[in-house]
Amino acid sequence: MAEKRGSFREIEHTADLGIEVEAGDLPGLFASAAEAVYGLVADLQGIALTEEIVVLATGEGWEDLFHAWLRACLTQFNLKGFVGKQCEIRRLEPGQVEASIKGESLDLKRHRFYTEIKGVTYHGFKVWQEDGTWHARVIFDV
Amino acid sequence: MRERIMGQEIKLERIEECLWEIPRQGGMRVPGRVYATEKLLSDLKEDNSLRQVMNVAHLPGIVGYSLAMPDIHWGYGFPIGGVAAVDLQEGVISPGGVGYDINCGVRLVKTHLSYGTIQEKLPRVVETLFSLIPSGVGSQGAIPKLSKGDEKRLLREGARWAVEQGYGRPEDLEYMEEGGRLESADADLVSEHALERGLKQVGTLGSGNHFLEIGRVDEIYLPEVAEALGIFPDQVVVMIHTGSRGLGYQTCEDFLKVMDQAMAKYKIQLPDRQLASTPIQSPEGRDYLAAMAAAANYAWGNRQVIMSQAEKAFLQALDISPSELGFSLIYDVCHNIAKIEEHVVEGKRRRLCVHRKGATRAFPPGHPQIPKAYQQIGQPILIPGDMGRYSFLLVGSEAAMEKTFGSTCHGAGRAMSRTQSKKQSRGLNIDQEMARLGVVARYRGRETMAEEMPHAYKDVADVVETMDLAGISKRVARFRPVGVIKG
Repeated sequence: MAEKRGSFREIEHTADLGIEVEAGDLPGLFASAAEAVYGLVADLQGIALTEEIVVLATGEGWEDLFHAWLRACLTQFNLKGFVGKQCEIRRLEPGQVEASIKGESLDLKRHRFYTEIKGVTYHGFKVWQEDGTWHARVIFDV
Repeated sequence: MRERIMGQEIKLERIEECLWEIPRQGGMRVPGRVYATEKLLSDLKEDNSLRQVMNVAHLPGIVGYSLAMPDIHWGYGFPIGGVAAVDLQEGVISPGGVGYDINCGVRLVKTHLSYGTIQEKLPRVVETLFSLIPSGVGSQGAIPKLSKGDEKRLLREGARWAVEQGYGRPEDLEYMEEGGRLESADADLVSEHALERGLKQVGTLGSGNHFLEIGRVDEIYLPEVAEALGIFPDQVVVMIHTGSRGLGYQTCEDFLKVMDQAMAKYKIQLPDRQLASTPIQSPEGRDYLAAMAAAANYAWGNRQVIMSQAEKAFLQALDISPSELGFSLIYDVCHNIAKIEEHVVEGKRRRLCVHRKGATRAFPPGHPQIPKAYQQIGQPILIPGDMGRYSFLLVGSEAAMEKTFGSTCHGAGRAMSRTQSKKQSRGLNIDQEMARLGVVARYRGRETMAEEMPHAYKDVADVVETMDLAGISKRVARFRPVGVIKG
């Protein structure tokens, strides 16, 4: 699925970390958010594209699906240490998303680790469309 | 007085020198109450924590006040430093009111050693601690990977499981909240995913703000209480701050989703989705409390193993006998938990569920739930600082039972966001800076350390002094950090 690549920025929060993502379409929003989340965990510059995994998530409505998607991406890190660098959305439809993500497992000897993310919160969580652009705002417990 | 918080005006009425009330408005079921000096209050203008105190006041069944301790800062849903007591029959349970790190807590260990006698060997002690206690992201256990069966036993038995495995001594169990085990735990309600995350993390500190600190006693405020606790000037003590690791984070996440989806069924509407709650007596509420208890037990087991590893490190590095070292637990407290407790509200004894998110239980002398040895002095309260300035030992008082559902502060509280702290740490030689503060530090990740430098935190002395002035918890002793390991 050819998505319109998006961008993200970190948002200030006293105790935790947040991001705001925007993209021209929903696949772009999901792909950029995944890359942004992995970018909070480790420096993606040092991550090679040597492994490819498939990530699936389900949820009702775009907002819940987006939340489930971020949790699914982090599960890959929490269980396998996988850090994604390049995300391609293969299928995105109401209720489910499937993507292939390229990256590699974190190796503290070679990679620069930033932050362990404990959870994807619902605090101030929002996915919305404005003037043809999709936006998402999410805060992580770190 | 009115404060402008993040562009919004919030009315605050002064009740006592260090106590402010946010009157009920809108859907608030009770007023908010904030313990703070004027200085600490002014620090809150740039964040959303007072608004969060108001949001928590919307919880069905909340009793008395939505409370904020002086180390309050902006969290998600609940403020960090928030306390909410809800009626056991009519109230709700909120996983966000406990937090992702279920039973994140602190334990304090005393030794027979004076700092002067180990000063020269301190770097070796810190190095050995760092090698025996895994820390940082993805850190794996100080002990071999558990079988699922063992992990479930740990979830049921808590610290007792660790003692049975040879980590520490049976008498340690006396000196923990709940004896290091919540009986209500149901390991079968913890998801496979959470179990998987927990298999290799027993005995690990983890990342974020968790740490192990070697301190020296540099100030004693209540000599008689200090003596009863075995605290003496210049003594070496060890503070361990960590929780339930990935198993707890996952349990919180699993149940947040369950509760988020169940809210409509119970017709609960709250101003922040992260406050997702269901009635305590609902199947979802009961299941969460039983899974939370299992995760809490994991945390007690984790701190028990770490304490035992720390003892080994001291023995190995100093080449002394256990009796010379005298490694002995003073107490272990939780500061992210929901507990079923009895409290007197408007003259009536009631069973309540007390959410403490970034707050510590502070029971007074004579309370049946504190160890026999502490009946005369009250429950020890352990307040880790910012790894640079100082940490504190306090005791609970009767006023805590009357005013805060037996609760007090839990730490320094962040004054600066992680991003700001990293910016301030840019170009800073962290080792030199910690050495300038008199601390030998070993850590895994520079980024985490840069986010967690002492400059990112409020002065913990202001926090504990506020609660001392309010009569809620009394200062017993202050510790100066001399060694730190962290993720």
